[in-house]
Amino acid sequence: MFNGQSSNMKKDHKSKFKTPEGYFDSFHDRLMDKIQQEETVSETSIIPKSDGFGVPEGYFDSLTNEVVAKADQKEVKVVQLKTYKRYFYGAASIAAVFLLFLMLNTNNDTSLDFDDLASAEITAYFDDVELGLSSYELAEAIPANELTLNDVLENGLEDENILEYLDENVADIEDLNLDYEDYEDYE
Amino acid sequence: MIAEETLVNELKNKESQAKAFEVLVNTYKERLYWHIRRIVLNHDDADDVLQNTFIKVYRNIDGFKGDSKLYSWMYRIATNESLTFLKQKSKKLGISDEELKMSLVENLQSDVYFEGDEIQLKLQKALATLPDKQKLVFTMKYFQEMKYEEISEVLETSVGALKASYHLAVKKIETYLTTD
Repeated sequence: MFNGQSSNMKKDHKSKFKTPEGYFDSFHDRLMDKIQQEETVSETSIIPKSDGFGVPEGYFDSLTNEVVAKADQKEVKVVQLKTYKRYFYGAASIAAVFLLFLMLNTNNDTSLDFDDLASAEITAYFDDVELGLSSYELAEAIPANELTLNDVLENGLEDENILEYLDENVADIEDLNLDYEDYEDYE
Repeated sequence: MIAEETLVNELKNKESQAKAFEVLVNTYKERLYWHIRRIVLNHDDADDVLQNTFIKVYRNIDGFKGDSKLYSWMYRIATNESLTFLKQKSKKLGISDEELKMSLVENLQSDVYFEGDEIQLKLQKALATLPDKQKLVFTMKYFQEMKYEEISEVLETSVGALKASYHLAVKKIETYLTTD
């Protein structure tokens, strides 16, 4: 501090600047005066004295009772919340331990593969689950040229059944262009 | 008026607590209301924040160590509650803090509890452009006529820094009010 001051003074001396006598001694007081002055000025400035806010009539009169009632009311709520919180933490920790135990157990098991599944389980799966396979997907899995209609029907379908169906459901059987020679026996 | 120390002791005592709380609310309700109102601007919001402030004071009075004065401790709670309230409001509306401040000022024009004229409305617009701390220092000094020492206790800032903030705020507001 003193070193800095003396070097500054030297420099000032060199550049031949001067200050009035006692300038720095009274600097602080003059600065405070100026601040004080500015504060007084600001009080006479264009800033309005009031900011124009109002309150509903009788607001402050009824406020005390309202606040006192609310303080009592809310305190009960907080006590309840804290009690529940304790239970929640307890339940959460038990659940966490249980889950951890399950996960560790699962990880220790030897891994299962497709062969370990009983075929009954696979059949049950296909029976219970709606696979939603499209006809293209089915055709890819099942070679269609090796398949006949009776492979997918539980009760075999005889020609007789087909003709009976057509006879009952088709208006003019001749529209079907059937080769009658093959079906002469049925007439 | 009841001595502050006596009031604090009575507030901490379960038997005298209820009565002392009533005294506390009666003593500080108006001062704290105006402090909060000048931050949140709207009466209903100020009412909510004020009630929450008193409830917090009531609930946390055991934690009041007496390192600062009771009123500055309450002012501090009121200030924090008000600023938090504004932050939550802007988050809820999905707008920035600055946008919210401007919209609060715009709403004043239709507010039945704002009786300000054009220049008072412009003053609010000017205040909305200031940083939070400058605005707080200005309103506490200019409208609430608090001493720098009192503001210093509430905002935990040195008197020198407060004077500089106030000075800057006044200049900015005057410039705002004199330009179109």
